[in-house]
Parts: sequence; structure tokens; C-alpha cells
Amino acid sequence: MSDLSETATKSDITFVVNGKAVTVRAFAMERLLDVLRLQLGLTGAKEGCGEGECGSCSVLVDGVLVNSCLIPVLQASGTHITTIEGLAFDQRLHALQQAFLDCGGAQCGICTPGMILAAAHLLNKIPQPTSADIREGLSGNLCRCTGYMQIFEAVAAAARRGAQ
Amino acid sequence: MRSHPADYELVAPGNLPSVLSLLAQEPGTWLPIAGGTDLMVQYAAGHLAARKFVSIWNLPELRRIEILPGEIRVGAGCTYTDLIENALVNREFPLLTSAARWTGGVANQNRGTLGGNIVNASPAADSLPALLMYGAELILVSVRGERRVLYENFHTGYRKTQCAADEMIQFVILPRQFSNYRAYTRKIGARNAQAISKVCLAALGRVAGGVVEDIRLAVGSVAPIPFRLTETEKGIRGKRIDPALILLAKETVAREIQPIDDIRSSARYRRAVTANLVAEFLNGFNEAGNKKSSVLTRWNSLPSEEAELEILPCCGSNSWARQMAALRPIENEDSLLAASSKIWRSLTEADWVEAFAHHPRIGHVVAPSTAPARSAQWSSEEQQKVGAAENDVLAALMEGNRTYEQRFRRIFIVCATGKSAHTILDILQRRLRNDDQAELQESAEQQRQITSLRLKKWISE
Repeated sequence: MSDLSETATKSDITFVVNGKAVTVRAFAMERLLDVLRLQLGLTGAKEGCGEGECGSCSVLVDGVLVNSCLIPVLQASGTHITTIEGLAFDQRLHALQQAFLDCGGAQCGICTPGMILAAAHLLNKIPQPTSADIREGLSGNLCRCTGYMQIFEAVAAAARRGAQ
Repeated sequence: MRSHPADYELVAPGNLPSVLSLLAQEPGTWLPIAGGTDLMVQYAAGHLAARKFVSIWNLPELRRIEILPGEIRVGAGCTYTDLIENALVNREFPLLTSAARWTGGVANQNRGTLGGNIVNASPAADSLPALLMYGAELILVSVRGERRVLYENFHTGYRKTQCAADEMIQFVILPRQFSNYRAYTRKIGARNAQAISKVCLAALGRVAGGVVEDIRLAVGSVAPIPFRLTETEKGIRGKRIDPALILLAKETVAREIQPIDDIRSSARYRRAVTANLVAEFLNGFNEAGNKKSSVLTRWNSLPSEEAELEILPCCGSNSWARQMAALRPIENEDSLLAASSKIWRSLTEADWVEAFAHHPRIGHVVAPSTAPARSAQWSSEEQQKVGAAENDVLAALMEGNRTYEQRFRRIFIVCATGKSAHTILDILQRRLRNDDQAELQESAEQQRQITSLRLKKWISE
């Protein structure tokens, strides 16, 4: 049986974030979200619900959209992670970021990083999505300002401009 | 209260044998964790009793789909996205793909696994009714070896399963035997994604001539574990789908399920909606055979002679046309086809031969001058594939036709729709060996099939 006095120890865990290899010292069961925010200072991913319902902690792990609040950091070992901070390239906004600005796709901003990463994942799979594809692709990301229409419009605009 | 990560251990051995030996060394101590979409939620909320976890995320042994002739084996570590993106699963197991699409949003579909959904055994897991429908089996694996269990018997109670402390699911087996069934599934929830079902129905059925040959119904979220509606199935199987049967089915469903009141819904709502979903499934069958046809409605109101003349191109026997017209009004396609077959079989040999004479020779697209124009047009559509044949095949067909006509003193009748000249030539050569009586019966059956196809074309014009 497990013994509560038995406590885990931290270990070194290495992965690539936004193109840079990093090694963090962490408990294996620490949430990827906490490691990104607290150890690496990448606060773009937000904690909304903390149970995989809202999508505000979305990041890409090996190009795949995930909720970072549900990933024990050990499972991220050896992966390539992209957060919202890594989407702009060489001081230029990603086409999705520009489209969100142009279309008014952000209000309070809490859901925005997750929305943009979910959209990036969608456009990667379906470069020219229908409006149903966009709704399905973003269905795991909730916006409490209810700015969904502008968000959908921004994704469609980015697709038209050939963002991927 | 929130959990502290220092109180929990997690190891990732990276291959299945190492995971299994860890489970065997300290049975009941190590809890496998795959995508974490369920366990991490309980962990964050401080509700997890287990303190030691072994990662099985992305183990190659668990993340593949094997396609065998009689079954497919889905690795327990396959994600919902893996299922959604597999063409064969989509085609042959659509109930499972639908359930995968409803599970969470994209991020959870990318991490949530089929095996995790099964072991976690939530009453509201959308994929579980689909597994019941497809007669799924599970391969459980441990250092002691493998065993195969029927998924239907796997859950033994609320979040309890047949999995021993040192065992885990390696494969979910889906027998490939339901691809000719009509599939229906519907989830009732506050929204499609990211919402736990109030009720979820998965159903498979096969209906012929309006009669239910087989039916399978499973429901989730109305009991501690998803289950088959066996009483309701029994009441429907072998019966003709009509309003009385649908009413009986609804009553049986309402008796058979024991839903509860909870934050998501009420027992009363769940009972009513489950019954309505079963009715919707059954009505779907009816609509296919019951399609209101404007042609039929108009034909039903014509004077007898005009009605006979209009239907005659479907089958050139005047006696058949007269009896069909006399049976009006005919409600729908099902009744029309049933009536036609019944009348046709009761006709005399002279009536049959009269109908045969309305067809052109196979390979000859010019219909006899006695045939109505519409009959001639249909003939050329039916023989479309014959026209594409090489000259030597056509010549052999001509020769065969002549031999046939000398032998049986009428033209060779075959339901040519979709058949190539080669196939027809084979049939013709075989039938030349029939005796008179057998050949008459075979010709009549071919004419019956031609008539049915033409009736369908006619009423959908």
C-alpha cells in the first residue's frame, strides 16, 4: 500500500519549448501548465477551469493541441512544445494573431492564447476549413465574453490569407 | 483540496513489459495513466486515492489499430483522434466515431484514450454504448498472459471492472459483422462538445420488407453502467414497424430503464427522451420505405384506364397492370413493391410471356414496336453496361440469344441493371441448360426484379 510519508523527489526533465531546449527540475506529477507558467515564465497559457473543460491552458505538444493542465510534466519529456509566446516569428505576428486583432477576436484575453493555438492546430490539419470545421475545431475552447462570432471570423480570415 | 505533486510518484518505463512487471510486483499500488483527461481532473481536485502512477501514454504496443479479416483490434492507448481519423473505423463502426467526436473538445480527443474510457467506466462515457452495440471484446494482459473477455461483462458495477490488480486492457476487439446494419446514435446534452450526456443512445438494426430482422439498442447515462435494452429489443425483433410497434417500444423502454435525478437532468426527462430516441431510430427505417411519393399520390387518383396505362411500362403484362390499378390507393414504395410481386407470381404463363415480349433482346437496344416509349428508354438504361462490351462478346451474346429463342421460343429475360455483357453471357449460357419449367420460373423471377427496379424509378421521378 502507498505510504503518505513517502514523498516523491524532483528530477530533471528536458523538452523543447518554442524552439529552445530547456531542462526543468520538477516533480513528475507537476502539471505542465504550472511548469510553463511558474518555472519558465510563459504565462500565455492560462488556468481557467483546471479540469480540461475550458481550453485556456491549450498548448501544442509535438504539434498536437492539448490541455496543459491535464499533462503531468514527465509525459512532456522529450517533446516539442509550442505556446502562444512561440507563435510569432522574428518580431512578426502569426497570421492568426493578426487576424484576431483585425477582426476583434479578443476581448478580456483570457481565452485568446488557447483559441489561437486551437485555430493553428485546425488550420494545420484543414487549411481551408468550413465554418462547421472552425466551430468543431474550437469547440473545446470557451470564451466567457461570448465573442465567438468575431473569433470564428478571425480564423476564417486567417485561412483566406493562407495562414498555417 | 488540491493535491501536492510531492505526494505522488509517476514513472514512465516506456514499454509494455516493464509496465506489466511493475503492476505485478506491487499489485494494486500502481495506477496506469494514459492521456490523463480523467485521472488528472481527479488528481487536481484531490480526489485520487492512488499515490503511484505508471505512465502508459503513447506506448507503441497500445497505440496501433490492427485490421484482420474478421475483426479489428484497437490498441487501448489509441486516442479519440486516432479513431476519428481511421477510415476503416469510420466506415464500419460509425457509432464509435460519432462517440469519439462527442468526447470533449479537440484537445481532449487528442489525449483521451479508448482504454482509459473503458477502465474509468463512467456511466456517461459516450463510447461505451457503441462498444456494446458492436459486440466488442477486450484483451486483458498481465505478466501471467492474455485473456479475452466480452466487453458486455467487463463492468461489474459503478466504476468497477473485471480487470485484476495486475492487469490492463491491451486491445479492444471489434468484430466486423455489423456493416450492413443501419446505425443510429444520438447524444442529448447541454451542448455537443465538452458536455456530459444526459442520455446517449446507440443502435443498430436490419430491416427487410418493413420487418425488423435484428435490432440492438444500448443506452448510456441512465444507469450506473451503459447497458443493452434487451427487453425492448425482444419486443421489436421479428415485428413489422408500424405506429403500434413504436408505441410498444416506447413503453418497454420507459419500463426497462431506471434513470436518476442529478445535476444534469431528471429521471422523468431521461425516461421520456430515451423512449423518444428509440422511436426516432425506428421511424428512420419507416421513412426509407415510406417515402411519400408525389407520383404515387397522383397515380392513386387517376381513372383506372389511365392508371393502368401509366404503370404498364414497368411490366408489360396487361393483367398485372389492371390488378395493380385495382389495388389503389397504394400508400408507399414498400406496399407498391409487395403488391407487384404478389400479383406477378399469381399470373398465368401467357401473362408472363406477354410481359417478356415488351423487352428488347439483350444487346439490341431497340425495343419491340409494341413497347411503350418509356419502357424502351428504361431498357437502354438497364443495358447500359452491355453497350460497353467488346464486339466478340456482343457477337457471342447475339448467337446465344438466337439459340435461346429457338430453344424456348421467346426472348431471353435477365435483370441487366449493373451487369456487364460478360456476366450476362455467362448467365445466358447457364440458362440454356435449364429445362422448360425451370427456365420459365427463372425468367419470371428476372422479370419480377426488373419490375421492382422500374417501379422505384417511376415513383421517384
